Amino acid sequence: MNSPATGRAKSARPMIIRYQGVIKRYGAFQALSGVDLDVHSGEVVCLIGPSGSGKSTLLRCTNGLEPTDGGAIEFEGAPLPRDERALRAVRRRMGMVFQSFELFPHLSALENVAEGPRTVLGMDRPGAESRAAAMLAKVGLADKAPNHPSELSGGQQQRVAIARALAMEPDVMLFDEPTSALDPETIGEVLNVMKTLADEGMTMVVVTHEMTFARRVGDWVAVFDVGRIVEQGPPRQIFEAPETERTRDFLSHLGWNG
Amino acid sequence: MDFDFTVITSHARFLGSGIVTTLALSLASGLTSLAAGFVIALARLYGPRWLRVVVVLYIDSMRAIPVLVVLVWTFFALPLVTGLTMPPFAAALLGLTVHLAAYAAEIVRAGVESVRPGQMRAAVALGMSRGQAVRRILMPQALVRMLPAFGSFLSITIKDTAIASVIAVTELMRQSETLAGQSFQPIEVFSFAMLVYFVILFPVTRAVDFVYRRVAYLGRS
Amino acid sequence: MNLDWSVVWQHRDALLAGTATTIVLTVATMAIAVPCGIVVAIMRLYAWKPLAVLATAYVEFFRNLPLILVVYWAFYVLPILTGVGLSPLATGLSALALNVTAYNAETFRAGINSIRRGQLDAAMALGMGRAQALRRVVLPQAMRRILPVLASTWVSLFKDTSLVSVIAVTELAYVAMQIRAQTFRVLEMLTAMAVIYWLLGYPQAKLVDWIQRRFAVTE
Repeated sequence: MNSPATGRAKSARPMIIRYQGVIKRYGAFQALSGVDLDVHSGEVVCLIGPSGSGKSTLLRCTNGLEPTDGGAIEFEGAPLPRDERALRAVRRRMGMVFQSFELFPHLSALENVAEGPRTVLGMDRPGAESRAAAMLAKVGLADKAPNHPSELSGGQQQRVAIARALAMEPDVMLFDEPTSALDPETIGEVLNVMKTLADEGMTMVVVTHEMTFARRVGDWVAVFDVGRIVEQGPPRQIFEAPETERTRDFLSHLGWNG
Repeated sequence: MDFDFTVITSHARFLGSGIVTTLALSLASGLTSLAAGFVIALARLYGPRWLRVVVVLYIDSMRAIPVLVVLVWTFFALPLVTGLTMPPFAAALLGLTVHLAAYAAEIVRAGVESVRPGQMRAAVALGMSRGQAVRRILMPQALVRMLPAFGSFLSITIKDTAIASVIAVTELMRQSETLAGQSFQPIEVFSFAMLVYFVILFPVTRAVDFVYRRVAYLGRS
Repeated sequence: MNLDWSVVWQHRDALLAGTATTIVLTVATMAIAVPCGIVVAIMRLYAWKPLAVLATAYVEFFRNLPLILVVYWAFYVLPILTGVGLSPLATGLSALALNVTAYNAETFRAGINSIRRGQLDAAMALGMGRAQALRRVVLPQAMRRILPVLASTWVSLFKDTSLVSVIAVTELAYVAMQIRAQTFRVLEMLTAMAVIYWLLGYPQAKLVDWIQRRFAVTE
């Protein structure tokens, strides 16, 4: 189901990602059955929906970690390449944050954040590390630079992971359930960093179960169910006046009462 | 029953050279089989299909054939095939390497496969090539995770050098055997040999354990 | 270099007998080493302190010695120490059993320890005695972890029987090397020896793989 351009206040901005009829299969299982979605520059697009509805799959298709089986994904006006080398160039312009953080345990926080600039961008060590230090300061962890991931709390690790992605200076940030693996006390510190990023104008695609975040920070919300988007629109529409039964069901199951 | 340990002291040099040979053969074969095992494991993990089949056949064959048989074949039969004679130490080194490399390869493989797949995904998401990701992110963690098994590998290597006595390598086992036969004092001589082996082997696994516990966090993702 | 492979066929009876001895040695050693291993493991874990220390010393001692040395020691020293003269076969069996018992003891101990303490506590809280709790609750669960390791030890033992050839026990390795010495057919006999071990050992190794897959523990 497509969503009209009406009500899309920021549609005048350039389009960063366009998903058209995206299809993805795992053997006999249809993970995505034709997804249409636009992401404009500076927007925070939140993907919500039950587990297994395809949200994370779409994210992994966005940066080519998974190939699609049908449809098209356009990034900054050009179709997503199939060739691995060209894909790598695309990945440099996208930052990804994982549910399980996936910090590199054998490197310190500073080295983790500097790893991308050093290995992928070919920066020299002092340059990469000074950029890393700046990114760590941005997420509020300048003092944790020499620590290894095993010495950091979940929330701190996730913030370092965000800094690691930011150090590549991406055009868009992809978040795959960034707070799902965190203790309740530390969720807030991560969401705050994400809100700061949003306020600064970063384009973000966020798969999340944090409805408050989607409501307050999101510019556009897409509701997933069994591999397709059942409804999409501004947060006000989705959370206060949902147009489809499915959306109402999903939200009420979460205990969301408008 | 009285024991006379002077047989040990009066043949100190004889036994001492045996100890030196044991240590030299252990170190040499340990290093060569680790290096070979590493390459073999990489072939199994990342190589083309036909290579993988060959490697698995080799590894499983070494699980079936005893070290003694490999050593004896290398020393007595291989020269007949190649036309080159080999001194016992070289034959032992070759035979031990061939046998131990299979074990080493399995340790490396297990270490690599124990790293979370998410780590590779994160590295690739940053824009690294597969080769970069394997080299910079996967291997360092895998190496740490291999350490515990590495201790038992060292232990087995050292114990296997004693089997080289069968092909006349003058390491400690051989020297002890010779001396015990000549002096008719097997109790003293073999007790000494047992003590030496124990003193060499016991700390080895302990030391590896100690090192592992201190660096384990580098491999925990 | 002319090869005469018929020498292998000609001596097939001796080779077969040697193989039988190898198998008998393996089976007999395990038959001794499994129960003894359990006993030593229990001693280490639950016995009165001096006994536990003794058990630990035994295990650590034999795990840190080359088996071939133990074989020689058993041959030369055991008769003097015990005053009893044993046949080479019995001597070889003793050496193997001493060695494998130590490994099994460690396997059983690690397996038992891997079961959460809470299981034993729960069983004893129900009123079971410790021995009963071990038997009915802990050991059955530990068996899942222990079996694959025992299978692996079995395959190693099968190969290690070749070491008793140095004290003239007529198992496969000794027989093959004797035939080599008599016929001077070095390449043929040594290759045949390797091939026979391969034919016997390869299926066993694959069986161990299957056992490990089947009993893989996922928590």
